[in-house]
Amino acid sequence: MSSTPELILIRYGELALKGGNRSFFEKRLADNIENAAAPIARTKVYRERGRMTAVLKEHPERVLAVARRLQEVPGITSVSACIGAEPDAEILSSIVNTELAARLEFEPGPVRFRIRARRADKRFPLTSPELNRYIAERLPEELWGKLEVDLEKPVLEVGVEIRDKRAFVYLDRLQGLGGLPVGTLGRAVCLLSGGIDSPVAAYFAMRRGCRTSFISFLSPPYIGEPSRQKIISLVRKVGRFQPRNQVHFVPFAEIQEAIRDLCPAPYRTILYRRFMQRIASRIAHRSRARALVTGESIGQVASQTLENIACIEAAANLPVIRPLICFDKDETTQIAARIGTLAISNQPEPDCCTVFMPRAPVIRGRIEDCVEAEALLDMDGLMRRALTGTEHLEVEAEA
Amino acid sequence: MSDTPIYLDHAATTAVSASVRAAMLQALEAEFGNPSSRHPLGSAARELVEEARRQVAAATGARSEDVTFTSGGTEANNLAVLGLARAVAPKSSGDEAQVLIGPTEHPSVRAAAAALGREGLIVETMRLDAEGRLDVAHAAERIGPGTRLVAQMLVNNEFGTLYDTRRLARAVCARGGPETHLHIDAVQALGKLPVEITSLFEAASLSGSLALSAHKIHGPKGAGALVFARGARRPTPLVFGGGQENDLRPGTENVPGIVGFGRAAVDATRDPAAVFAALEAARHSFEAAVAIELPTARVLVPYTDGAHSSPHVLSLEVPGAPAEVWLHHLEVQGVFASAGSACAAHDTELSPALLALGLDKSAARRVLRFSFDATTTQAECERAAQALGRIAPALESL
Repeated sequence: MSSTPELILIRYGELALKGGNRSFFEKRLADNIENAAAPIARTKVYRERGRMTAVLKEHPERVLAVARRLQEVPGITSVSACIGAEPDAEILSSIVNTELAARLEFEPGPVRFRIRARRADKRFPLTSPELNRYIAERLPEELWGKLEVDLEKPVLEVGVEIRDKRAFVYLDRLQGLGGLPVGTLGRAVCLLSGGIDSPVAAYFAMRRGCRTSFISFLSPPYIGEPSRQKIISLVRKVGRFQPRNQVHFVPFAEIQEAIRDLCPAPYRTILYRRFMQRIASRIAHRSRARALVTGESIGQVASQTLENIACIEAAANLPVIRPLICFDKDETTQIAARIGTLAISNQPEPDCCTVFMPRAPVIRGRIEDCVEAEALLDMDGLMRRALTGTEHLEVEAEA
Repeated sequence: MSDTPIYLDHAATTAVSASVRAAMLQALEAEFGNPSSRHPLGSAARELVEEARRQVAAATGARSEDVTFTSGGTEANNLAVLGLARAVAPKSSGDEAQVLIGPTEHPSVRAAAAALGREGLIVETMRLDAEGRLDVAHAAERIGPGTRLVAQMLVNNEFGTLYDTRRLARAVCARGGPETHLHIDAVQALGKLPVEITSLFEAASLSGSLALSAHKIHGPKGAGALVFARGARRPTPLVFGGGQENDLRPGTENVPGIVGFGRAAVDATRDPAAVFAALEAARHSFEAAVAIELPTARVLVPYTDGAHSSPHVLSLEVPGAPAEVWLHHLEVQGVFASAGSACAAHDTELSPALLALGLDKSAARRVLRFSFDATTTQAECERAAQALGRIAPALESL
């Protein structure tokens, strides 16, 4: 654009359907937007009739950076960086012509476009269709040579919005994430490993409005500090979809040693995971979370057969949400790349699941066998020591 | 007259700030580990490097995974120019591989492009228009699907012109192929003018990168970065080794330098409006004083408002003696400046940037560069101009 955009127009979809709760949803979305923008530039959000506008209170040159950032805030369907002007048809038409000329200066072929004028202030003398026509009729001949009207799938949308004191022009509609504002659907706790799947599962939970904290199990001295750092890096990355992030690091080596020493080897992984669900459920209750989130996917590894998933789930006492349950690995990997966690997940750090891995893990576990094996363990003592040894860490996500 | 020298060569380098020094000392002494080590000292050093990566990313609106640390601006430019041009597989037929560079590029871009020329690529140079601005229309005609790389500086190091790289980006986007990459050398811009990766490569699908240097913004020498736009193509590395910096720049990280760079990037972008105002004030007082003390000097790129040039560089075409002689006379007066670009000062070759600006050979030999910093005072500017006035009678008619 040749002029610096003055504000960001924010559109949201599903929220509009929330009836009596709408105000709560909008308030939360506005807070989340201000929060996400803050590290780039202090930003104020204004709510108005089914959309919002965001105005930067500092660093005016960062408006596009903020617009890009808002593409990652759950609950937003699209954003546009807008040039501000007097609500005057002639002025608006001339801004459109200048902006389009700059945008199309080097374009050889016809670009598919549409004009979308919207009159929110009914005192404006032209109706929306009239303003559409007004703008179109004043596009200079040389611009028409590079344009082709396409109302269905335009590459360029020339937007003109009339408000009471100010009008706005934009050329781009940046796609948002969709979903619901984080915090509107309660809290969840995600079991985070160093792998590819669990950060993606957390992302989906956040996108559906759940404020998500993270639990990670560490087995020092079998695994070291780099594994812990890897988890923190993952939270920094995936945590940018929500305002605040907390990680609970649970010491897990003692439990793993007890299982190794006292329980049948093929059941080790399932028993580890049952402990993880139990501990996660406890921590979830304490933080008023209503669900666990995992990255499990049917058949991906031996512990993820339907039988084994049932054995593991039986140890949880909260709903277990598995966003990736029917995803192929390729699909998950693509999403991980898109949200930026893949490169971190690919760092070859061991995680606790690999400690004392049995040679032949059980494929079709039975709950009775799990219960029988656990009868050999000091369950209360192991649970208590793991929980009291848990480190609770606030992590600041990346902007 | 005070004995403290007046340093007006901030475009060449800047002094390390106290906060940078403190951060670097921590990395030199306490956190001396190798970031690749598996013990806590290694993790601590890794965390310092990653913190610096986030700081440099934030200073440019980039993502941390898109920041690659280098040994400075020269290496960042080389990695971009050579690495990105080489990263495209040779076509069996059709378009010839070409790179297009700016008319006033730093030697690290020009020489790297020349090396590509020796490898068989076509190297073309953009030009300036009569006003000294980048002739983007002329450049657009030279961009095609076979263009692998377009390299252009954001702010000129010799006379401060701010080039319209956003318009160039639109030309690259409209005319280039899917493999065309736009590299912007932002070494002189960071900390003086907004360097925002989103607005520079605004056209969403453009593969782009930025070169940055620490020592121009009160960081240490020997640290810089190549910062990529989201989803940008990656270069073929120039060196090979143990996988550091995502294999783009292997070798044990320069932890103290990187830490210093991160701190300097935070400091330099904390209050851009205040820095800009201070630079403008310095420039205006120097220019006003020069107009009185040495009216025969000509300002190469007149300054208006920061839309077309950066206030921190002021170059003068002086009368009479060559710039080198003026420099040494100024030195005696306690004023440190430079001739053209610092790197070219030792060169017998004339600055191609000054020639591209339309200066003849004689004028190009008589260009003095003064460059300011937010800490430069009005008194320093006035004293420096007075020094010019004092030495003028001996040099004007040489």
